[in-house]
Amino acid sequence: MNPGAESLSFQGHGLLDRRGFLGRSATALGSVALTHLLGREGLLAAQPDVSAVLADLAHPNRPRPPHFSPKARNVIVIFCAGAVSQLETWDYKPELHRWNDKPMPGGPAVTFQGPAGNLARPQYAFRPRGQTGKMVSDLIPHLAELTDDIAFVHSLTSKSNTHGPAENFLSTGFALDGFPSIGSWIGYALGTDNQDLPAFVSLLDPRGVPQNGSNNWGSGFLPATFQGTTWSAQNPVRHLSAPGITRDADQAARRLLGQLNQRHLEEHPGDEKLAARIASYELAARMQLSVPEISDLSTEPAHILRAYGAEDTGNPIKAGFARNCILARRLVERGVRFVQLFNGAYASGGELNWDGHNKLKEQYDRHAGILDQPAAALIRDLRQRGLLENTLVVWCTEFGRMPFFQKGAQGRDHNPDGFTSWMTGAGIRKGVSHGVTDELGRAAVKDIHPLYDFNATVLHLLGLDHERLTFEHNGVQRRLTNVEGHVIREILA
Amino acid sequence: MPCIIPVWIRHLAPVLWGAAALLAEATNNPGTHWAFEPLSQGEPPQPKAVGWARTVPDLWVLDALERAGIEPSPEADRIAWLRRVHFDLTGLPPTPEETLAFQRDSRPDATERVVESLLQSPAYGEHWGQQWLDVVRYADTHGFEVNTERPNAWPYRDYVIRAFNADTPYPDFIREQLAGDQFGRDAATGFLVTASVLLPGQIGADDISKRLARQDALDEIVVNTAQSFLGLSIGCARCHDHKFDPISSRDYYGMQAFFAGVEYGDRELKDPESQTRREDIRRWKERKAAVVVTLSRLEPLARPGTPTGNSPSGSMAARVAVKARMNSDRFAAVTTRRVRFTVLETNSLEPCIDELEVWDLESRNVALASLGTHVRSSGDSTVENRHELRFIHDGHYGNSHSWMSHEKGRGWVVLEFPEPRRIDRVSWARDREGEFSDRLATAYRIEVETNSGDWITVADASDRKPFEGRNPTADEWELPAAALAKLDPRSRQQTQTLLDERLRLERAIAGAVASQQAFAGIFRKPDRIHLLHRGDPEQPGPEVAPSVPEVLGTVRQPADAPEPERRHALAQWLTQPDQALIARVMVNRIWQGHFGTGLVDTPSDFGRTGSRPSHPGLLDRLAREFIANGGSAKHLHRLIVLSSTYRQSSSHRKAAAALDAEARLLWRYPPRRLGSEPIRDAMLAVAGELNRQRGGRGFDLFDQRGGLSGFKPVESFPANGLRRMIYAHKVRREPEAVFGAFDCPDAGQSTSRRRESTTPIQALNLWNSRFTLERSSALARRVRHEAGARPQNQVQRAFLLTLSRPATRAEEQEALEALRGQDLEVLCRALFNSNEFLFIP
Repeated sequence: MNPGAESLSFQGHGLLDRRGFLGRSATALGSVALTHLLGREGLLAAQPDVSAVLADLAHPNRPRPPHFSPKARNVIVIFCAGAVSQLETWDYKPELHRWNDKPMPGGPAVTFQGPAGNLARPQYAFRPRGQTGKMVSDLIPHLAELTDDIAFVHSLTSKSNTHGPAENFLSTGFALDGFPSIGSWIGYALGTDNQDLPAFVSLLDPRGVPQNGSNNWGSGFLPATFQGTTWSAQNPVRHLSAPGITRDADQAARRLLGQLNQRHLEEHPGDEKLAARIASYELAARMQLSVPEISDLSTEPAHILRAYGAEDTGNPIKAGFARNCILARRLVERGVRFVQLFNGAYASGGELNWDGHNKLKEQYDRHAGILDQPAAALIRDLRQRGLLENTLVVWCTEFGRMPFFQKGAQGRDHNPDGFTSWMTGAGIRKGVSHGVTDELGRAAVKDIHPLYDFNATVLHLLGLDHERLTFEHNGVQRRLTNVEGHVIREILA
Repeated sequence: MPCIIPVWIRHLAPVLWGAAALLAEATNNPGTHWAFEPLSQGEPPQPKAVGWARTVPDLWVLDALERAGIEPSPEADRIAWLRRVHFDLTGLPPTPEETLAFQRDSRPDATERVVESLLQSPAYGEHWGQQWLDVVRYADTHGFEVNTERPNAWPYRDYVIRAFNADTPYPDFIREQLAGDQFGRDAATGFLVTASVLLPGQIGADDISKRLARQDALDEIVVNTAQSFLGLSIGCARCHDHKFDPISSRDYYGMQAFFAGVEYGDRELKDPESQTRREDIRRWKERKAAVVVTLSRLEPLARPGTPTGNSPSGSMAARVAVKARMNSDRFAAVTTRRVRFTVLETNSLEPCIDELEVWDLESRNVALASLGTHVRSSGDSTVENRHELRFIHDGHYGNSHSWMSHEKGRGWVVLEFPEPRRIDRVSWARDREGEFSDRLATAYRIEVETNSGDWITVADASDRKPFEGRNPTADEWELPAAALAKLDPRSRQQTQTLLDERLRLERAIAGAVASQQAFAGIFRKPDRIHLLHRGDPEQPGPEVAPSVPEVLGTVRQPADAPEPERRHALAQWLTQPDQALIARVMVNRIWQGHFGTGLVDTPSDFGRTGSRPSHPGLLDRLAREFIANGGSAKHLHRLIVLSSTYRQSSSHRKAAAALDAEARLLWRYPPRRLGSEPIRDAMLAVAGELNRQRGGRGFDLFDQRGGLSGFKPVESFPANGLRRMIYAHKVRREPEAVFGAFDCPDAGQSTSRRRESTTPIQALNLWNSRFTLERSSALARRVRHEAGARPQNQVQRAFLLTLSRPATRAEEQEALEALRGQDLEVLCRALFNSNEFLFIP
């Protein structure tokens, strides 16, 4: 993209990327106010690097240059909680038809939840899709139409077969509690383009919080400012206004606070922390205006609402998820760096998320009806608006499911040894399927990628080297990828 | 790949050179590192302006300033020092009375008197205990996905607060946390099990999952011990030899072996008070059983197959609706060998029953397995040690000793007695401990088998009022109010007395049961510990015996040493008088608590990648003071807060800042924002609402715990929730809705030093939350009460309460201006949000 860029200094890279981006994005991001971009440029002139963030916690969201030229500016992660079965969705295993209802030769006797039953064929019909002829199941017909643009990784592995630790592992790179989530790492590294909004927003499923709750958007030992702000079409950001306080009373108090702080600042010249706190109240006041504006979907045209399924009165959960999808687009449009979009809630015997242990088909029919149309509409909408040029869309789940049913049940147990997630959009090679599981779909056998690699790839697309994005905590330079991780180059454009 | 990766390599060469140098140092001199050396015995330096010094630390601080060519700052005004020392030692601001008294106190030892009274205040331990709880990542929940309550964690929190208040000698503090069960301090071993842990039901049924979970659990104990006491991160050595510190994988697993017999779990406390309580509980339970039997004789007989209908008369006669906590079905006495309980409908999911009891005419529960009764069922959802068929008649109540059917909404259980029994009552519940109310049988049938082998129904739900989804609180009483009203006055009086007694007994039992258990670890026969290749439990190497890291000592134990001796040996080693590293780490934590930054600014990393001390001689001198005074934290507090260094003004000075921007040399007192707990506590204190009740179960920050809609924050706290924040029920990873954003640790991993971030979310929370608005109203009420109706007086009083000083004339004018046509709350809200209120001066 930038001839001769290899010979540039690090700062040179940053500068070049920024100008290039501004040029490209002036038309692409038509809805972003020009002032934001100009403001950004002004802020960028200071060239703060990540180590400077800690010294300047007053302005934690200032944009910071990446390590190298990025392919993506923003990320939307569609996080399907509960572990989606690869065998019912993206990983076609015709051999399972032949082996249906037979014991798996050499298979495990006991898995996570108990004794293993017989192998079970895919519960949905698969058929070729698009130009590539990629085999995808009928469970998700809308998403299936997009496969020509998608890069699948069929050979992911997790370190844990338990939802909590495995969601930790997917979101933070560690199975244990307490490590920073990928969104907070990215906010810490890059800041964000719109200073009126958080860098990292987590949109919660209408059915409730995901299995591992706030650990998926926590900041761990990074400064608290980098944690995800939870939000959804149903539950707006907290504390945006003071209940029962009149506008006059609010303004009188605000004016008085300004006077108190100004006098105090004059008596304590030179202390940046004081000025930063004053600035944070000004930012908060701007958020009080910008957040309700973004949440107001009444400005969306009818055909958009329809395309997402946001007015599907027969399926209020789907309509709720669809509204979150629209919200995700609006956030990215306004420069929010990282948006997590949850599909699926808490452990519930598979009733409210993708944890299909017992009645997989019955439950998946319902879950797919919520996910499919809205998520597909989101990707189409992003593409149509040119946002997919700069936005990476990730679809992921914490692990996969076994090729056999559980004994005495009509569902599959946890399988961390080979499962599928995918990416599309900025920087992604279109229509590739990378990595292979064995013919029964029990485990990855070729191009095996622990989730470290998947996360390293997301960082890479944002122009970040996962080995250089570090934070010192109790004597260890911590990373999102611990001491592992290789970028999956085969899926890059 | 080593575990240390340089931060943001801009200039690759020097960083790589630095890493190479560290590696070389580690390789060439495995033992030499400043922090592992004995304490230096050097005399204090003699700075030129030695007259400035008040206490020993001043000599080092002044000497370093003189060398850097920076003058110390002038002394802060008395009120700034007073506010500073109050927040620093107790986390609370001075009251106006304390402020005025100190201003008037012209005695030469006025400052000493203030410090002594603060160190004697229970608020001291409530503030300093929090720092220790941050380090050990204490929480009242188990963490991970379920994050369920850890109801008996708080005795450890209370132990820590008490230990600080009692100025427990540091060696005792260490010893008690590792082996308090051997020193009459049972709750102290809560230290071992403060981490997140997977509960039995969350670990996979396969052996690989179990082994990994056990390793993770042990790892947390090793990491916690090494980090908290030794200031070393040795967790890396779980997978490979530490690259920079001389800690090998063998060292790591040697440490793990000390804890190989520790399990996460509740332990009965053994102190004398707990013994007495246990005896009380036994008596109360006996008495309660007798009361319940007497009351049950008044219960209406079940009339199976008699729908209550909708008519008023029908509902008058109806039995009460089913309840999750307790149900009783009385019927005419019948002799039988088998009782069948069939669930026909639930309020949700598969039915679950914690205990099924069948009473004979002598009021004996003949269903118990211990009396030879057998049980069969239609099918079970088994979760080991939680839901098993045998738990339905084992005499234990609660969800974790219950039976769950394999089918949604249905299922049956048959109890078979060893011989025919004459029975007249069945009692059953979803969860007698009151935690769960899902999976409740809302339609059911109780049958007995006749001699001829037929089943006849003796009770069902048809004559009960319909289940309405709501559970009456703690109500086990089967007698409808209407029936009670029909009794003659004397019987009614007697019944009421019994009902009251039952309620009293229940409360007494619940309270006593909660206080005799502590989540302080269970000790059992130790596992064999192996060196694991790359930390993988599936790749075990040679067996490893308990031993301390080679570079630090030589203490070893045989591989078959009994459990208690292991922890005892480790505690002995850590508390030897010559443990320089351990003393350095703790005095540094205390210094950090006063200045925001330690002499070593990496408080839990005294290894090679940690920082070197800013004042090495001072650190060692304080460590010697600490040891010589028996490990007294309060001795160090006195040395510090009475020093000239600490008494300096916090004013910014451009020239000094140009040389030392972060004031590491302490040319001024570095001002800092209050932490999350002191902000909340101070608002309550100033508003006159702070509830000073100490200890015990934490108050709830959330209305609803976990589950489908997550944790719903309490918006408006009852009096119990107006206690100091250290007494909140700390939900791991779930930030408190208002103050969590002020860098309050989430108890996932250890926090040795809190960051100080500034965010718009903090501003939104403190500006708009109901908490702030309610405190503003309370403060306004207090001010009106104390200052009367005159606006000037109100403004002055509000300033004095929040900022410990009067308002200036200009401030008074501005405040009066703002209050024209507005309530006093406007001023209170602004003051709570002001920088002056939020920063330690």
